[in-house]
Amino acid sequence: MAAALEQDLEPRYIDVDRQVQRALAPGGLTYWMWVLFCAFLTALGIGFWTNQIYKGLGVTGLAQPTMWAVYITNFVFWVGIAHSGTLISAILFLFRSRWRTAIYRCAETMTVFAVATAGLFPLIHLGRVWFFYWVVPYPNERYLQPDFRSPLVWDFFAIGTYFTISTVFLFTGLIPDCANARELSTGWRKILYSIFSFGWQGTDRQWRNFQMVYLLLAGFATPLVLSVHSVVSWDFAMTQLPGWHSTIFAPYFVAGAIFSGCGLVLTLIIPMRRFWRLKDVVTVWHLDNLAKVILLTSLIISYSYLVESFMVWYSQDSLELTTFHYRYFGPQGYLFWIMVLCNCVIPLLLFSPRVRTNTVWLFVISIFVNIGMWLERFVIIAGSLATNTMPSQWRFYTWHITEAVITLASFGWFLMNFSLFAKFMPIVSMTEMKEGIAWLRQAIKTSYPYRKAA
Amino acid sequence: MSEVAVISTFGTDQECAHGILALEGAPITEFRSFSPFPSEHVMEAVDHVRAWGRSPVRYWQLFGGITGVLTAIAITFGTSWEWNLIAGGRPIISVPPYIIIMFELMILMGGLSGLTGFFLHSRMPEYDGYRGYRSRFSEDKFGLVVHCEESSAARVEALLREAGAEDLTREILEQAPAHH
Repeated sequence: MAAALEQDLEPRYIDVDRQVQRALAPGGLTYWMWVLFCAFLTALGIGFWTNQIYKGLGVTGLAQPTMWAVYITNFVFWVGIAHSGTLISAILFLFRSRWRTAIYRCAETMTVFAVATAGLFPLIHLGRVWFFYWVVPYPNERYLQPDFRSPLVWDFFAIGTYFTISTVFLFTGLIPDCANARELSTGWRKILYSIFSFGWQGTDRQWRNFQMVYLLLAGFATPLVLSVHSVVSWDFAMTQLPGWHSTIFAPYFVAGAIFSGCGLVLTLIIPMRRFWRLKDVVTVWHLDNLAKVILLTSLIISYSYLVESFMVWYSQDSLELTTFHYRYFGPQGYLFWIMVLCNCVIPLLLFSPRVRTNTVWLFVISIFVNIGMWLERFVIIAGSLATNTMPSQWRFYTWHITEAVITLASFGWFLMNFSLFAKFMPIVSMTEMKEGIAWLRQAIKTSYPYRKAA
Repeated sequence: MSEVAVISTFGTDQECAHGILALEGAPITEFRSFSPFPSEHVMEAVDHVRAWGRSPVRYWQLFGGITGVLTAIAITFGTSWEWNLIAGGRPIISVPPYIIIMFELMILMGGLSGLTGFFLHSRMPEYDGYRGYRSRFSEDKFGLVVHCEESSAARVEALLREAGAEDLTREILEQAPAHH
């Protein structure tokens, strides 16, 4: 396809199939070593979690008043990561932004596994995990009423719905691509793709119904994505804790979620396009557009940080002023400034078109974005709890190895699942690439005329 | 007279759309188009010939959404009445927080219901396949399978060839009983 573009030839539909087939080719030694490494991290995490279940939460640094620290930070981080998937797949679909075509499957896959990872943390966070089903709001014999006025109950419904709808959205979009892959495969892969294509043949009737269900799912997923992280933010904002009790939290969390999610899409897709030779499908033009979204959301969250601080100063509330003083200049103040550097300063490099079209720069910036957004959640959660309304209780959270390993393991678990899925399912939508092939060619030519000249 | 399937292959969606439009008024019993992606040209031509409206899947989604809201109302109001515990002096039935549950269940049940409608109306899963389907129709070619009487097959083939069909084959679907 690249050759076709460079030589000014019309790329053919079969070129898209060939490109995506490369990603589906059996993994080499490097790929399996990577998957094994991720599996090892996961196993290590399971080991430490088992130890935590056996000995109790005392093996962690969790203690009053910072009972919500790394585990809930991880929960919010992974839920946030999930958001860009729906942004790229649903919201950009409704806006008919064609640059989503090459990357949306990757983002959707990331969404599903990120929510699956996030869902583990409320369980890991429990001291007696065998009573996890008490989290489920149902009428029971213990006279524990399901309090629908509690943000934690809203969270249960929001995350459950988000996971289900994201999975449905991913697998619905996969049906025509699995049918395409079915025709190109043999052996057990043909059976696998036949199962997931549900006998799809691309008839006019099927396409008509597919377009309707996909459009409506996108329409449903769009307000859902905005609601889910708003609900997550209300877990904090509905309390009266200084540093949490703020009406800015919902839009601030949603913008941050899209920022971090787009960052992780870059982190995943740049190595993937290099190692699986997808450079001609996921072009620099796609990455450039993604970088612009990151830049925009970075500016939004920078503005949110300023407004949040201004409101604290303007209110002159002594509790809020104290919390924010400690957030900036307290013993863990350096985390706040690293966060500002990662989320507000480094992304400004993306104003430069040269940086936005350089994959090395983009990869490095995306890593900083991930670090910055994880720190943002940590600073908000653990930092605010540490300086609550009772100075006699004040205590800053310190890490223990259990949380560190389990956090690392969550990345291993996520990357293992993502890598396996990307190897066995079409990670780029062949259908949508074919639909927009002529448009894509024109867009690349007009966006980067210098590439052809070079 | 036997019924046959005329299987035509097109290189582009525009040619396939011309083929579909050419079938208007032709002596055929049924036709079905195949495409590797949802082509606007093909869908418009099909809509024109078949006078299809919009997909009925949307009613499934609407029905599911309404069911979700009603389910949420039943759960939230019902459990509040059943365990009428006053917390913080707030009313037993606090509608604003219940709207969140209604919204989430509307999305959840609407989405799942829409998916069910999609499968039912698309007649999926269907692993036997449609007669005349070719693997390239999922890859890079557009297909049109037309059912007609054997006597009309030559005319149908001429129409499709004129529209730009690259390849035409004929399969007998139903053998007429022999006359003695």
